Amino acid sequence: MNSSVPSNGKPPTEARRPFHFNTSAHLLRIGQQRAASLGELLQAVHTCSDASIFQHTFRTLHEHHFIREGFSNDFAQWALSACNEPALAERLASVDIREFTSLTAIRERIVDIIETLLKEKPNTADRQVSEPFYFCASEVVVMPTPFVARTLTEFVDGLQRVTLHSIHHHFIEARLRLKLTSNDFSMWLEEEAGFREVARSINRIDLYMGTLEDVRRQIVRIVERSFNGEV
Amino acid sequence: MNPAIRHKDEVAEQAGNGPGPDPFASAVEPAAVPDSQVAQDRTVPPAPVAPPNLADYAPIIGQSELDELRYLAQGLEGKTVKMVNSTAVGGGVAEMLNRLVPLLDELGVRTHWEVITGGNDFFEVTKAFHNALHGAEYKLTVEAEKVYLACNEQNRKHMQFGEDYVVIHDPQPAALVQEREGNARWIWRCHIDLSKPNHEVWQFLRPMIERFDAAIFSSQSFAQKLAIPQYLFYPCIDALSEKNKELEESVIQKTCDEFGIDRTRPIVTQVSRFDRLKDPVGVIRAYKMAKQYVDCQLVLAGGGATDDPEGAAVLKEAMAAADNDPDIIILDLPPWCALEINALQRASTLIVQKSLREGFGLTVTEALWKAKPTIASAVGGIPNQIIHKLSGMLVHSVEGCAYQIRYLLTHPEFAQKLGKTGHEHVKENFLMTTNVKRWLLLLRTLQEKQ
Repeated sequence: MNSSVPSNGKPPTEARRPFHFNTSAHLLRIGQQRAASLGELLQAVHTCSDASIFQHTFRTLHEHHFIREGFSNDFAQWALSACNEPALAERLASVDIREFTSLTAIRERIVDIIETLLKEKPNTADRQVSEPFYFCASEVVVMPTPFVARTLTEFVDGLQRVTLHSIHHHFIEARLRLKLTSNDFSMWLEEEAGFREVARSINRIDLYMGTLEDVRRQIVRIVERSFNGEV
Repeated sequence: MNPAIRHKDEVAEQAGNGPGPDPFASAVEPAAVPDSQVAQDRTVPPAPVAPPNLADYAPIIGQSELDELRYLAQGLEGKTVKMVNSTAVGGGVAEMLNRLVPLLDELGVRTHWEVITGGNDFFEVTKAFHNALHGAEYKLTVEAEKVYLACNEQNRKHMQFGEDYVVIHDPQPAALVQEREGNARWIWRCHIDLSKPNHEVWQFLRPMIERFDAAIFSSQSFAQKLAIPQYLFYPCIDALSEKNKELEESVIQKTCDEFGIDRTRPIVTQVSRFDRLKDPVGVIRAYKMAKQYVDCQLVLAGGGATDDPEGAAVLKEAMAAADNDPDIIILDLPPWCALEINALQRASTLIVQKSLREGFGLTVTEALWKAKPTIASAVGGIPNQIIHKLSGMLVHSVEGCAYQIRYLLTHPEFAQKLGKTGHEHVKENFLMTTNVKRWLLLLRTLQEKQ
């Protein structure tokens, strides 16, 4: 995926500090908790580890990054497929992980949605479902890649060559590290390279409306457009 | 006999060979058949081929993915692993180890594979354990326990465990852990469905399993309450194996020509042993219901009708259900016809896997890898692979299966989209290279916890 970036003859701007592309790999651990009803799910979401919340929201989105529509998180998927509760599934699917900078906040949101449903339909709390929800957790290993960017040209080159795990690591998981509703790419572009609008455009990409490969293409397109002064 | 139904002898005769010695006597890993020889001789297994190198996977998963594997392996350089199972040939575990061991070795993690030995009494006991762990009724006797433990002890006396990691596959060699010594990390890789194990057998094995440092299961639902960490490793397929590698169009055409399959009309295929749990008669009923509205042919390709008395009976039932329909093609193939299975899957318009029970369902994985729209029962590990309406269609009945055949044959764009998503799902989660990555991650994790 080596493509040259149109530079319009302008020399590439050198960032104050380079961007180091990292990546991450995940090992899936099976937890002891499982839920065979919505009541049990609520209880387990209250008490499960942060690593479980991460697995069933952030990480599962990565595992299903190739799906263009209709997949958001494991809780929503289970509410639909095992509980036959489409309204609950819709509400859970609307939990946009990019609005959260902590796993505690996501946990509270999921608890709130399930509690609301159980207040509306108390009979559903103990109803047995077709397949239990098995709580898992992710063990993460962060790794460097050979790709380092000092200019936008190098940045685009790196974006095009790293794996999608790296894109997910910097663009999606980053907010848990940064504790900001932003991402590593936008932070670097704004703070180190001085491209504030480019950074903001990238942060507005709707990751639920395309695949992770689409996200990569959109980031590249936005940066390339900046070469032509369009951003 | 209906001309659409093919048996192994008939296939061999058509290919220019007489029946010869029974090729079904042993299961040998399918190996390379040069494309020019496709369908030439199925009476004997072909010679094995050298496994691919890591670099051969670059066109499939990308160079950066390979770089990640190499990076993960760096922390394990010089480490040694011993894999132990109970069979060198035949079966999914041996097939998987044949690929995994050389790849780990190439990454600098020196991996050695040993096979335990045992007499008929031992394997009779472990076969009974296997069925019991799958949920079958079984009365565990003191004698069976003695046979199991004595054979493990006998093997242990002849084995050295100087490696950094010892990986025991399935229950047969699990008791080797009882005398573990030194700093080696011991891992139990369970390939079988433990979701509803026979209580007695599981209680007998459980104290041994808890002597390991970690256990690996193929599905979340197989995990047990254990005092050790449990990890999820999905079963996987090798994209470069005979059953899954890319094929030239001429090979696919030749295979279809030989079996009398018309590629100008839709082809619906189920690949599986002739086993009631795979419900071949249910597939025929679904096809007949769908055929009232859409034109198609049905291919049932499998084996097991010769080496398994029940298989022969199931084949007979399928033939009776086919009722001389010339558009139903039943193929009873020997286990080494991987290339032909590959070609049949690639020629198909839709793939069906209407199992009543299933382990993981690797035939579904194979179909998805080939980007085929797939209709499968929501049993066993299939829902891990098929997300309904996104990477395939899940069904729960003959009627549902018939409806989805009609729907996908009349909505080819949607069907194509399902196939494409299914392929990506396999690429991300169910390939051998992903399995290698999981192993590297686990070895690193256990190393850090030491």
